[in-house]
Amino acid sequence: MIFFKNKSKKVSADTVGGVKRQTKSKAKSNFYLSRKNAWLLWLCQCLNISVIALELSTWMLAIIALSLAWQALLLHQGREKGNSLSKNNPATGQTHRKNSRQDHQHIFRQSIGQNTRQKKQQATNVSPIVLGIFALLGCVAIVITAKQVGILASMLHLLCFSYALKGFELRSRSDFYQLQLLGLFVLAASLIFRQDLAFSLITFALLVLNLAVLLQFFSFEKAFVTNIKVVIVLLGQSAILAIVLFLVFPRLSPFWQVPLAKSAETGLSDTVKPGDIANLTRSTKLAFRADFGQQKVPNYSLLYWRAMVLEEYDGRQWSRQHKSTRNKTAVAAKNFSFDNSATEISPLSYQVIVEPSFQKYLFALAPAVVTGDAKGIQAQADHTFNNSKIISQAKSYRLTSYLTAPLTLELTKQSRQLNLSYPQGSNPRLEQLALQLQHNYVDVQARAQAVLNIINKENYSYTLQPPLLDNNSLDQFFFDTQAGFCVHYASVFTFVMRASGIPARMVTGYLGGEYNGVTNTGDNTGQLANKGHLSIYQYDAHAWSEIWVEGKGWLRVDPTSAVDPERVNSGWSTQLLQQQSELNNDLFSLYRMKNIAWLNALRLQFDALDYQWTRWVIGFTSKQQYDLFKNWFGKMVSWKLALIIAVSLVISMSMLMLFLHLLNRSKTKPQSLTKWQVIYQKAMGKLAKQGMEKPLSMTVNDFAKQVRQQCPELAIVFTRLSASYNRLCYQMLSTNEQEKLMLTMQQQYQQFVQVLKIIDKKSSRLYSYI
Amino acid sequence: MPQTPPVIDIVQASQQSITAILNKIESVVLGKPKECRLALACLLAQGHLLIEDLPGMGKTTLAHVLATTLGLSYQRTQFTNDLLPADVVGFSIFDNETNRFELHKGPIFNQVVLADEINRASPKTQSALLEAMAEQQVSIDGITHELPMPFFVIATQNPLFHAGTYPLPESQLDRFMMRLSLGFPDLKAEKQILLNTSQRTNQTSADSKGNSKADNEAVIAEAELIVMQDAVTQVSVSNDVLEYIIALSHVSRRVYNGHISPVNNADAIASEISCKPLSPRASKALLQAAKAMAFIDNRDYVLPDDVQAVFYVVCQHRLEMQPNRQLDPSQLESSSVARQILNSVDVLNPLGY
Repeated sequence: MIFFKNKSKKVSADTVGGVKRQTKSKAKSNFYLSRKNAWLLWLCQCLNISVIALELSTWMLAIIALSLAWQALLLHQGREKGNSLSKNNPATGQTHRKNSRQDHQHIFRQSIGQNTRQKKQQATNVSPIVLGIFALLGCVAIVITAKQVGILASMLHLLCFSYALKGFELRSRSDFYQLQLLGLFVLAASLIFRQDLAFSLITFALLVLNLAVLLQFFSFEKAFVTNIKVVIVLLGQSAILAIVLFLVFPRLSPFWQVPLAKSAETGLSDTVKPGDIANLTRSTKLAFRADFGQQKVPNYSLLYWRAMVLEEYDGRQWSRQHKSTRNKTAVAAKNFSFDNSATEISPLSYQVIVEPSFQKYLFALAPAVVTGDAKGIQAQADHTFNNSKIISQAKSYRLTSYLTAPLTLELTKQSRQLNLSYPQGSNPRLEQLALQLQHNYVDVQARAQAVLNIINKENYSYTLQPPLLDNNSLDQFFFDTQAGFCVHYASVFTFVMRASGIPARMVTGYLGGEYNGVTNTGDNTGQLANKGHLSIYQYDAHAWSEIWVEGKGWLRVDPTSAVDPERVNSGWSTQLLQQQSELNNDLFSLYRMKNIAWLNALRLQFDALDYQWTRWVIGFTSKQQYDLFKNWFGKMVSWKLALIIAVSLVISMSMLMLFLHLLNRSKTKPQSLTKWQVIYQKAMGKLAKQGMEKPLSMTVNDFAKQVRQQCPELAIVFTRLSASYNRLCYQMLSTNEQEKLMLTMQQQYQQFVQVLKIIDKKSSRLYSYI
Repeated sequence: MPQTPPVIDIVQASQQSITAILNKIESVVLGKPKECRLALACLLAQGHLLIEDLPGMGKTTLAHVLATTLGLSYQRTQFTNDLLPADVVGFSIFDNETNRFELHKGPIFNQVVLADEINRASPKTQSALLEAMAEQQVSIDGITHELPMPFFVIATQNPLFHAGTYPLPESQLDRFMMRLSLGFPDLKAEKQILLNTSQRTNQTSADSKGNSKADNEAVIAEAELIVMQDAVTQVSVSNDVLEYIIALSHVSRRVYNGHISPVNNADAIASEISCKPLSPRASKALLQAAKAMAFIDNRDYVLPDDVQAVFYVVCQHRLEMQPNRQLDPSQLESSSVARQILNSVDVLNPLGY
């Protein structure tokens, strides 16, 4: 946060500084971007902003778009002027006049300046006063809206705003650097909100693009594509360091506040009214993934992922228990622990990795217990799980479920009362039906079945586009429109159950999931090896009911199965998929994707990759890191940890340096130095210590002369040495002669060293006298 | 290595005559020992020499003394703007007595051709010299005539800013191995020159009387010169020196090629050098001149020192963007393009390992 602030301050300060500079010396700039580079930079800006655009408010987007468009306009005008200048067209003056009339005054001023300047010069300079006022207004707007959008979002606004405005004042090279840095910062900031593989890849591609633009500025003579290649190679080389940092750098929990405004965007919400979930099903976003490891994945119809139990009904919508009542049940929740020793049902253990939902609820196949690290996960009395904090990052946890075990065999009086209550007279016709049923069927389960039969037999339809209901009237749905989505059926069913005296409640969550067995490999032992995972998307959202039956506990009843059995048994029917694709009006809708085999395969493949990414890269939390160190180095103490981090950083850096050094060496240094070269180099090193350094372009003889002048004592020995070197190096000698000369040169070198020592002693004596 | 003993023998044997030649030249062209050595090196390397300077600086004197000292046949041609190619090369003339065309040989059929003030002639005439310089032969009326061996063209020219001059085209400049510039003599030398003037007038009056020309006595015979020229070509060149020469020419080509050549050091310096690229002919000339310098220095192998000594005179006129602006004070040797290129290459490690 502090960093953000500093950054923005610096930028605004720079704007002010720019004003002063401008007034003092009339834009005496020796920095300019070539036209191509300027456009590339502009493109980079657009792309960087677009990555983060979803998180920005509309008004901010509008401002940014406006300033970017303005920059583009200036760039374009710059080109026109350049062209007209080069052609020496008499029409130039006219266009300028036209411009000045159309646009603001500062453009006019600028255009005059432009006339005198080189045509190559960049044209995105706008009057700093106007820019300053604009920046000030923008900052004020950001401050005003800060309370609504939260600190993170407003800081983000500030960042993007300064990024967009910075493009106007590219006067010196440092401005260019600042713009580049801001761009990288924007990219990094965009990763706060999304970390999935596709997005990370896009961000990485943009990173490459940004760096390539930077490189292009310095090596303009190369093609842009070559520069991109160079950047990729450089990033590849730095990957070692990145991996080490990834492994050993301390994981800090995010120190920014997660915006609450986002919470209701996707996913289930606390309250459900008929028609709610149907909207959710348009989204193909991932909700969570489940990994069953080696075990067999249960049938589709058993995969009822419970998220929330909604027990209160006010005649219009279902909601969770109020806090006050929940506190009372909290005592029960604390005592709650699933007695897994009593059951003979085979347990099903699996890992769930939740995408950031900005909610607290977690998913489980009830009844379940948390195995492994249960930190931050609270089990509720109604067999749902909550995270202690809002899930803003991918979170994984491990559960063990006993699918066929009963839920909560005993019902407290309070809870029974709650699950029987409904606003009297809210749906009179349904109440009447319930009374009738209560009369006809004494058995609880038979009564429930009767309702399902009615739904099944009558002309009910299951649709994503249910007709609107007045005041969410269940009567209207059940007797008139007769078309609805899962929530409609579940609501009606639960209502009827309650009205007929059976404790019933609404449960929301997800049903099924897509099994991605791309990574499936057949074991050679013949055992079925399951290596895939289950992806549950938002469109798998579902609602169903639970009724309490004496002796059996809470029983799951899904009224949807009565109207559309396919939905419950194997997922969406083609009809629904078609409906969905029509609703979304999307070229790459799920329906079409699923119809094209290779595309679907590709999608699944990518999904599998994304899963691994989420699991290993994003899921690499401080705990995993700690475990890793523990595995490698045994018991951890904090100083040991710090030592490991430091040592591994140093080692990896030095390895990287060594590697690069060797790489460069092998490229440019195919032959090693000859003996005489080594000796001469040594001698030169010694002389350099004496303050006599040979300029690169000086020949050996000339250097000998120089030494003679500077240090007459050395003259004879060094001249001899140089002569030998020259002969060895440049004369055509037989190997015999070479060896002989080499020996003499070595002797000469020793003499040289001795003379040098004597000189050293003398001078030190001299110093000691002084 | 079988040739090594003879070469070194020739080198040592020639030292005496070389010293004699140099003494002779220096006694005429006073106070310019360096230029004299370079001019001799040029002739030993079988290259043509271009001397550029202001009028009255001793250009012609140098050319004259070079030719006479080496005992070569010599003719001076004053180039003017109405000089025709035939005036230089020669032409066929119809002989009434024999009823045949007879070749009237031009001044080019001499061993040393002094083309005085070459840039006063029209380009047409200038280019007539071209074939002669490159191929050592001339074609007159479709018949090719071999020119005498050894053959030199020594041209003098005035700086371009002088009135009535045609700049030599690059192609022709490239055919001169060296371009020398004498420059003003120092104080002592000038005094000597002034003193000598009176002596010389005396001598010329003696010459006119038909007495022995003390000035024009040849120091060596023609055969000896050819032996020396052969020896120069056999001076050995180590790989390092070759690489040094290559590196130098690569630096000059870098801007032209638009990409970084294998020479990696001092990129920053090189990127600011704006020059014409050196052709392989230029590097050949450089090598040959360096060999001649080594020969004069009593060595049978080339040192980078030799390359450096001749680099300016061999390459400067091929490097300059405006080759004829030579006397511009900003174009002093210390700040010239050639010097910049020399400074940007490591002697010991030329290709930047």
